[in-house]
Amino acid sequence: MPENEKQLREVAEKLLIDKKVDLIIGYEKGTLPLRTRPTFIREPEETKRLVWNSRCENNLSFYLKTVKEKVGIVAKGCDSRSIVGLIKESQVKREDIFIIGVPCPGIIDKKKIEDILDGRELLEGVESDSQILLKAEGFEETLDQDKLLHASCRSCRHRNPVLYDTLMGKEISQPQTDEYSDVEEFASKQDNERWAYFNDETSRCIRCYACRNVCPACYCPQCFVDQSLPTWFDRTPHLSDTLIFHIIRTLHTAGRCVNCGACSRVCPMNVELRMLNKKTEKDVKELYGYEAGTDLEELPPMATFKIDDPQEFIK
Amino acid sequence: MKEDQIVATEKSEWKPRIIAFLCNWCSYAGADLAGISRLQYPPNVRVIRVPCSGRVNPYFIIKSLQHGVDGVLVSGCHPGDCHYISGNLVARRRFAILKRILEFVGIEKGRVQFSWISAAEGERFSQVIKEITEEIKTLGPNKKFVKEI
Amino acid sequence: MKEKIIKKEQLGRWLEKLGKEYEIWAPVKKNGLVFFHPIKSAKEIYFNFLNSKKTPKDLFFPQSEVLFSFPKEEVEKEAETILPKSRIIFAIRPCDAKSLALLDQVFDSEDYRDPYYVERREGTLLVGMACTHPQTSCFCTSMRGGPFEKNCLDLLMVELGDDKYLVEAVTQTGKDLIGKDDPFEDAQGKDRERLAKVKKETEEKVKSKVVMEGLEEKLDKIFDSPFWDRIHQRCLGCAICTYLCSTCHCFALLDEKVNSGVQRVRSWDSCMFPGFTLEASGHNPRISNRERMRQRVMHKFNYFVKNFGETACVGCGRCIQNCPVNIDIREIIEEIKNE
Repeated sequence: MPENEKQLREVAEKLLIDKKVDLIIGYEKGTLPLRTRPTFIREPEETKRLVWNSRCENNLSFYLKTVKEKVGIVAKGCDSRSIVGLIKESQVKREDIFIIGVPCPGIIDKKKIEDILDGRELLEGVESDSQILLKAEGFEETLDQDKLLHASCRSCRHRNPVLYDTLMGKEISQPQTDEYSDVEEFASKQDNERWAYFNDETSRCIRCYACRNVCPACYCPQCFVDQSLPTWFDRTPHLSDTLIFHIIRTLHTAGRCVNCGACSRVCPMNVELRMLNKKTEKDVKELYGYEAGTDLEELPPMATFKIDDPQEFIK
Repeated sequence: MKEDQIVATEKSEWKPRIIAFLCNWCSYAGADLAGISRLQYPPNVRVIRVPCSGRVNPYFIIKSLQHGVDGVLVSGCHPGDCHYISGNLVARRRFAILKRILEFVGIEKGRVQFSWISAAEGERFSQVIKEITEEIKTLGPNKKFVKEI
Repeated sequence: MKEKIIKKEQLGRWLEKLGKEYEIWAPVKKNGLVFFHPIKSAKEIYFNFLNSKKTPKDLFFPQSEVLFSFPKEEVEKEAETILPKSRIIFAIRPCDAKSLALLDQVFDSEDYRDPYYVERREGTLLVGMACTHPQTSCFCTSMRGGPFEKNCLDLLMVELGDDKYLVEAVTQTGKDLIGKDDPFEDAQGKDRERLAKVKKETEEKVKSKVVMEGLEEKLDKIFDSPFWDRIHQRCLGCAICTYLCSTCHCFALLDEKVNSGVQRVRSWDSCMFPGFTLEASGHNPRISNRERMRQRVMHKFNYFVKNFGETACVGCGRCIQNCPVNIDIREIIEEIKNE
């Protein structure tokens, strides 16, 4: 991965010098240990800020919604699928973006690190190959990065970007994954058990809307929660309203969610949102044979129909 | 919370309240036909007329449950017969995903149902209402999503 | 009162006694999060925490509360039933306690006393736990605070070694919590020495320093500077920084319909939401993240200073830890200085 980082900086610099793009959106080092964050670079000499490592967790494609310039964007597998989705829905023009694809073996989940440290603060993290050394007060341990991967990365089927203008390094191997085993296992529980689980999860939600704002698929100028005519939701965070917010958001992103995991990564209250999204993704695949973000030509499934769509559930 | 409005605590006193969203051109006309033909069906259904089943926003269904109704039926024209050509076809996909996600979250199977009933199917309309009322009676009052509104 | 010592294994006994008269809120850990929750026994307390995820401000200023409701006949004020039993917040950090002094300026001032806030504030005692492990994102010492600060506390506890706490009374109410029969001993000279040592070491551990001098004046000058164009780019416009901030206190007043009539509800709002300043005409003076980010910084470090004489920040670092795109207020202040 260090070679990818070096190549990334060179490519970005050249793009800016040749004026092929006005802006590069990538990752830079953050102000806390093992944090990276999005960065916006307009001058060629600033490209040395760019980094690429297993903590580049933000899905940068959501910035494409608001940026007006010609953009070079660093995209992992899942990000590239979000970009395909945005192009398909005419939110961004293909010719206005230059996709710098990076193959990604997975992103480390900082919440897992917090669990391991159990109350200690992470002071330093050093990556090497497929391992990571974690240092905290009175604690030093080297772990396999595999053990710390984010849940959405474990079931990733597109480690390599599906759409790109240039690729950093070479494509990496794509292991077979059983993506939906957790959804299937959950679905086999009793109704009341599942209901209790969702209520418990959403009881922590503070309605900060970070999940919605970070999602590339959520670009409505006025979100349904902000509407006052009609007032769908009260501002008071009733448990019922909060759960419904998440369900409706899942419905609105049905067939468009690429399971990048950004929503559950940004949640400050550790609400596991992906269970709903994965279920819908699975349904869309089973019912309509569609996978989000893989094909520029295919119409989004909820915006179209076939005469012989499954309807065994209809009387 | 007034007793007669939302959920009664004694199941034996409880009568199901079902909301039916009927599309104007087919299902509502079918319901009309049932009425004209003097066909009997349970009185627990409140009908809301919509121009097309495609008008039904999934949130209408969920909001009904929030208000404490015990069951929701959405009914439209048969595929191919929609007055607006493709409204029910687009809605079909939406309903499929909605039904699956509601069941996944824990809403009992059978609380939210869908049907295609044409303007000529008065008998079928009364049959569907009878069936859904029986099913909701077995499921019992809806306590999930309920919020004092 | 002289300082007292309580052994860790005796803590449960003392809390049990206090629990008869007060509802005790202490840090518990669930789903990977530490937050304040009422407890029945000391076994439920999670002591190993750096700081709670959400601040205890919602114990005084809840995320949503019904101010009053109008059934059809009359308007009833519900202030009388706000706090049925007095409370103790146990192991609150000094920074969070200090934030209450700032919230007091807003909700409990000469001109206006918010009865809902005041009722909760007067019915709650604060037993603080000094920080012995400040985080790299903490900068309380730059904000006229510190890991051993006593501002707003009734008692301050300090962990001395593995087996005991030193307890200092700050107010008479705090002193009264320690009864004659409670398992406390007087602190010895060596305990006090150890306290001084731990205090000094901890204050040195707070390495992050933010120079606040001249900030207010500088902000006055750069209101229209293109500096703000750079700062806001990453921001998502969510409410994490405001909802998790110890001192943020913006709220929305709304009338919500319920079966029995209407309720007037006060709930948290965030200046980072696009709709926060959306006017009925459709005009929005803070149309983009640029204006909203600028407003947040100006409010905390300029307007609040002008209105109340203090910066509306206690340096707890929650905004830095939780921002999904790592927007760091310390960096912003540094850049403002260099502008």
